[in-house]
Amino acid sequence: MKVEPILYGDRKVYTVSAFNRGMSRYLGRIPLVWVEGEVTELRRNDAWATVFLTLRDPATAATLKATIQRRVFDRLELELEEGETVHAQGRAEVWEARGELALRVTTLERLGLGEHLVALERLKRQLAAEGIFAAERKRPLPRVPRAVGILTGADAAARGDVVATIARRFPGTKVVVCETRVQGTGAARKIVAGLAALGAHPEVDVVVATRGGGSFEDLLPWSDEAVVRAFAASRVPVVSAVGHEQDTPLCDLAADVRAATPTAAGALVVPDREELRAALERSRERLGSAVHARFARSDDQLARLHARLREAPTLLLERRRAALDRTGARLQALSPLATLGRGYAIVRVRGEALREPTGVVSGDRVDIQLAAGGLGARVEEVRP
Amino acid sequence: MTPGTSFEELQKELDSIVTRLERGDVPVDDAIALFKRGEELYRECASRLQAAELRIEELAPSGDGTGGPEPTP
Repeated sequence: MKVEPILYGDRKVYTVSAFNRGMSRYLGRIPLVWVEGEVTELRRNDAWATVFLTLRDPATAATLKATIQRRVFDRLELELEEGETVHAQGRAEVWEARGELALRVTTLERLGLGEHLVALERLKRQLAAEGIFAAERKRPLPRVPRAVGILTGADAAARGDVVATIARRFPGTKVVVCETRVQGTGAARKIVAGLAALGAHPEVDVVVATRGGGSFEDLLPWSDEAVVRAFAASRVPVVSAVGHEQDTPLCDLAADVRAATPTAAGALVVPDREELRAALERSRERLGSAVHARFARSDDQLARLHARLREAPTLLLERRRAALDRTGARLQALSPLATLGRGYAIVRVRGEALREPTGVVSGDRVDIQLAAGGLGARVEEVRP
Repeated sequence: MTPGTSFEELQKELDSIVTRLERGDVPVDDAIALFKRGEELYRECASRLQAAELRIEELAPSGDGTGGPEPTP
């Protein structure tokens, strides 16, 4: 059908159908492109000529409708399941009936090991550039968590190892287990949901994410971008014990701590209770002896003070006596009696000590005081 | 002592009390108060180490991660 406008005077107007058809043809001129996406909503019916599917971008959850001829799809023998990542080659088209953009797929390939590795390496570089794996982002694990969250598969031996180790080291621990798909389709989303659920638990202070070893494909969900980001963004620190020692799913790099085994993870998240008890007893002993030492020191000080208090009056008396003695000695030095001792005499007339002969006449009676005793005498001559 | 206080916080406080007392420059009245607090912390820590049983709670997350946790007894 042609795309022809209806003319209203000189205005060209297209019907919806014609517009959609026109857009579809226009887009159809764009060369074939490859699109990578996760397959969701795969609908195939023997009675239909077309297989419908949706391609999803795991990083942003953006979606794109896609169609492929059933004949072509069946010949590929992909046995695709939802959740698998594919490369689809095709052209954009607009569905005339609904004006929806879709990818008309001409060929479809499941992502092979090589492509997975390339994609992983690219994701790793991108996340590293963002700092998701940076050492300074790593948080210390709590020493005694109120509860340990365990994210694990339904029948995982890994779960048993973690729980047994926790029970042995710190029997009183509360463990919150969240079972999740650990591999295959939809596992990544379940892991993210499980991590969020554990993080939302009010008592969980640390999470152990664990699964046993598996094939490269089995471990792929643990390198899924959403999972890796969820590890880094977790509210509580995450210990990753995924796969065997030699495996390094990207979640290991985003986790706060990587444990080599589930048992090692269990030992990381709880302390040894007996060690803790011993440390606590040591603290209490130190507390007791420190306070005793403090009081003993005060006792000593008090005893010394008391002794000084008792000696204080005696000391005071002695000090006073010494002072008195010194004053007495000074007084002694100033006494006229001391002068008399050196041969001087004091002459008094009518009780007054004489310094000059004024007022004294011959015949007056004078008293002479000597160092010891004295004389009574009369004046015979006055020499002015 | 609020139940929300973590074991580490309690133990850290106990350690700092012991260290202060060991330094010996604490007035006697304060020393008594510190000792009492230290004993209290010790008892609380010790009682937290008492619980003998491992308790396991199963959590069923909603499939798409939009819902909250559903604890099951």
